[in-house]
Amino acid sequence: MGSMPEMYFNIDHGYLEGLVRGFKAGILKQGDYLNLVQCETLDDLKLHLQSTDYGNFLANEPSPLSVSVIDDKLKEKLVIEFQHLRNQCLEPLASFLDFITYSYMIDNIILLITGTLHQRPINELIPKCHPLGSFEQMEAIHIASTPAELYNALHTLLIAYLEDFYSFCNEMGGATADVMCEALQFEADRRAFIITINSFGTELSKEDRAKLYPRCGRLYPDGLSLLAKADDYDQVRAVADCYGGYRELFEGVGTNPGDKTLEDRFFEQEVKLMKNAFMQQYHFGAFYAYVKLKEQENRNIIWISECVAQRHRAKIDSYIPIF
Amino acid sequence: MGSVFRSAEMSLCQIFLQSEAAYTCVSELGELGLVQFKDLNPDVNAFQRKFVNEILRCDEMERKLRYIDKELKKDDMKIPDTGENPKAPAPKEMVDLEATFEKIESELREVNTNAEALRRNYLELSELKEVLKKTQNFFAEHGEGHHTIVDDAQNALVHDEMATTSATAVQLGFVAGVIPREKVPAFERLLWFACRGNVFLRIDEIAKPLEDPVTGDAIFKCVFIIFFQGEQLKLRVRKICEGFRATLYPCPESSQERSEMLNGVSTRLEDLNTVLHQTEDHRHRVLANCLKEIRNWIIKVKKIKAIYHTLNMCNFDVSHNSLIAECWTPVSALENVQQALSHGTELSGSTVPSILHRMHTKETPPTFFHTNKFTKVFQSIVHSYGIASYQEVNPALYTIITFPFLFAVMFGDLGHGFIMFLFGLWMVVMEKKLMSSKSDNEIWNMFFGGRYIIMLMGLFSVYTGFIYNDAFSKSLNMFGSSWHPNYSEPLLDSVETLVLDPEYEFDNVTGPYPFGLDPIWQASKNKITFTNSFKMKLSVILGIGQMLLGVMLSLVNHIYFRNPLNIFTEFIPEIVFLLCLFGYLVGLIFFKWATFTVHCSTCAPSLLIHFINMFLFSYTMPNDNFNYQCDHTNPKLTGCKATTVFYRYQNYAQIALVLGAVLCIPIMLCIKPFVLRARHNRKIRRADNLQAVSQSALIHHEEYPEEVKQILIF
Repeated sequence: MGSMPEMYFNIDHGYLEGLVRGFKAGILKQGDYLNLVQCETLDDLKLHLQSTDYGNFLANEPSPLSVSVIDDKLKEKLVIEFQHLRNQCLEPLASFLDFITYSYMIDNIILLITGTLHQRPINELIPKCHPLGSFEQMEAIHIASTPAELYNALHTLLIAYLEDFYSFCNEMGGATADVMCEALQFEADRRAFIITINSFGTELSKEDRAKLYPRCGRLYPDGLSLLAKADDYDQVRAVADCYGGYRELFEGVGTNPGDKTLEDRFFEQEVKLMKNAFMQQYHFGAFYAYVKLKEQENRNIIWISECVAQRHRAKIDSYIPIF
Repeated sequence: MGSVFRSAEMSLCQIFLQSEAAYTCVSELGELGLVQFKDLNPDVNAFQRKFVNEILRCDEMERKLRYIDKELKKDDMKIPDTGENPKAPAPKEMVDLEATFEKIESELREVNTNAEALRRNYLELSELKEVLKKTQNFFAEHGEGHHTIVDDAQNALVHDEMATTSATAVQLGFVAGVIPREKVPAFERLLWFACRGNVFLRIDEIAKPLEDPVTGDAIFKCVFIIFFQGEQLKLRVRKICEGFRATLYPCPESSQERSEMLNGVSTRLEDLNTVLHQTEDHRHRVLANCLKEIRNWIIKVKKIKAIYHTLNMCNFDVSHNSLIAECWTPVSALENVQQALSHGTELSGSTVPSILHRMHTKETPPTFFHTNKFTKVFQSIVHSYGIASYQEVNPALYTIITFPFLFAVMFGDLGHGFIMFLFGLWMVVMEKKLMSSKSDNEIWNMFFGGRYIIMLMGLFSVYTGFIYNDAFSKSLNMFGSSWHPNYSEPLLDSVETLVLDPEYEFDNVTGPYPFGLDPIWQASKNKITFTNSFKMKLSVILGIGQMLLGVMLSLVNHIYFRNPLNIFTEFIPEIVFLLCLFGYLVGLIFFKWATFTVHCSTCAPSLLIHFINMFLFSYTMPNDNFNYQCDHTNPKLTGCKATTVFYRYQNYAQIALVLGAVLCIPIMLCIKPFVLRARHNRKIRRADNLQAVSQSALIHHEEYPEEVKQILIF
């Protein structure tokens, strides 16, 4: 690409970057959410979404709507947009977009394997897979003779994937590396924290746990070795205290009403990072950020729809606003 | 004043609609199409408005209609366009419509599910048939009976030495099935990996495309047959097949059983075919019933929805049980609106009339032009540049002539123009017939929309073609040329090109060619040079005329809106600038045409060079004895050339003109913003003073009424 990739970026990827920025402009704003939470029924929700970029995406669904239909349609819309980008793109953006789908593929496999481990029929599991990560051989996964082993292998695969993606972005250099490395570091550290916290009270040994940490985050190496030794939540928190950025996340986390869960705090941080990705131009991070933001938006809409459908309005406000 | 010159005069009206008559009134107003409603609840969510339920019902009806429409399209049934425009049905008919759609939809869905099940059955049977046929062929190819092929496979799978020792001991099993063609490579690869190469796979394509039971699309599939050894491998192979959604079919081992089964399948397929045909017929009947009505239904539902959307823009007055709407309407149409309202009230059977009430407002009304089929296209050309503000001069009126004319100046061919005119005329004459046969062809629709403009462009091109004397790029000699060369025959034979001197060879008695260009130019060598110069001058004159017209129209606007500031800071400098530079140029063109005759052609100025030199302030002076008269001038004596000054004091006049034009630029750019700023500041100061005074007045119990008065006056 020469010494200044930005100069040639638009030749190959300019159209798609424009497209993805256009898609990004269609992400729901705070005002839309304020309207959505006022909905009484799912049909109201549909009516309001009609006035946004979602347009008529639910128009051909007979009333009454169900949350799962909305979920399917939301995913379908994202997949259509993503596939369009993927079909139009050139290398190295093609590899980059493939990398994004790999994580969904791995998630799907994990879902299928967990299902088979619990003796669920595969036909029941397939519809639950994320369509962005579906591939032909996926459904044949249950031929594995030793699903349990495969399950463990998958976690290593996920780590390998993160590290691979990280080095791929790092090699790209420029703004892509700046944006993506930060995002992937965050992703890796989040996994490390969550795995550690979830492992308390299970039979996972500390050595095995240490193997599950991705080694491409800001925690590597010192933070990870500290985490590996942690025995309870407070010790994890002590590790986070050493890192600016993570300390703030753990503050205000609690189980009291009004407090947020750690997961939500991480999601909020992710949204913040992804929004910043759009501040720079001529890089691939925007594509990754778009998929992540759209996913968060889908989670928000589903959350609100669930609250509306179950008439459980107390927590309807705990969606994570994006813009 | 006709509304083509300015946009129509608008008035803001308030309409009190009795709630029982509101629907019919809005329906009537909608048919009239001369009212623009204002949204009085812009802050209310879409789903919190009054008639949200009705709109949701309309959405639901539209969905059903779309479904029916899709089914019609699937069967390639074309919806006839009757050109009917049904009115919106009464609200109570909505229930009937809903019931009808519901019935049709459920009926269609039922038929479809039945048909789908049948088709699925059909697909499976035809797949089974293919599997049986292919395996039969396959086994036949590899010798009589099953065992030889098993041996074959065995040889492929088991190592040679082992085969000789234990060939008979190993019993191979097989499964046969069907898989989509595009999945074959992945399937093959996975089979190989998952079974570690211990299976033997045979694949054969089904030549005939099969039909997808749901969508009816053609799908291409392959028959496969897999040989394996042992129960575990069988389980694994079956799981892989399941994972790839390959359909497995039972395939008997012996050839006889297979052919029996094949016969059975064939008869069942035939039976199924008849049943399928019957279902298709039934479906066709259901759809045929909708076919006549669906267009009207779609229009009706659209109208109902539009009416409720409009009603959602109104305020609801609970005390009077009425809806209050605000709308813009042309003053000339007020009577029609009143009539529509009373008609609507009558239809609804309400006794209380709906009241229309004109309001006074400071808001700028919307721009509205009455157009007819002729002016519409000109108006839309003007709109593509921007829509005029309320009551501004509408340039579309002038475009009717200037647009086709300027086109013709560029096109300028009698023959081609006539063809174009005929094409336009054909479209205009056949208007009604062409309009009713609606076309989806974008290019055709563009031509048809511009039929009047095309006709006029053709007509004007015929005219300019006459002026340029160009018919299919040839000249017509209608009146006889005014040039009469009197060269002798031998001279004509020996010399290829001869010069015609206007002094001797031009017929001054009959005068110039009566209309357009003299046809003799067609034969001349310098035709292009001459016509280029002629057309260029003509274009400059017309172009500057067009600009002048535009600037003059702005003067009309400024006078109409009583805006002297714009006249002095915009119009006057603009016109001075235009006239000083380009107006002068046009003057020079006429001057040159009028004064330079054959006797002084050597002195004829080159206007282009002169115009450039005007800005460079560079002048070439002739000799002192040049008297600026066009008589038998001798250039050697007078020193006049194409670049020399050709009238007295030309240099002074031009310097003055350039300075005048340059002076206009700062006037145009600077004065208006400063005046506007000063006015704005003054307004703010006045508002501040008023506030201060009114506050102090409140504090001092209105002690200084005199002062307040003074400031109010100021």
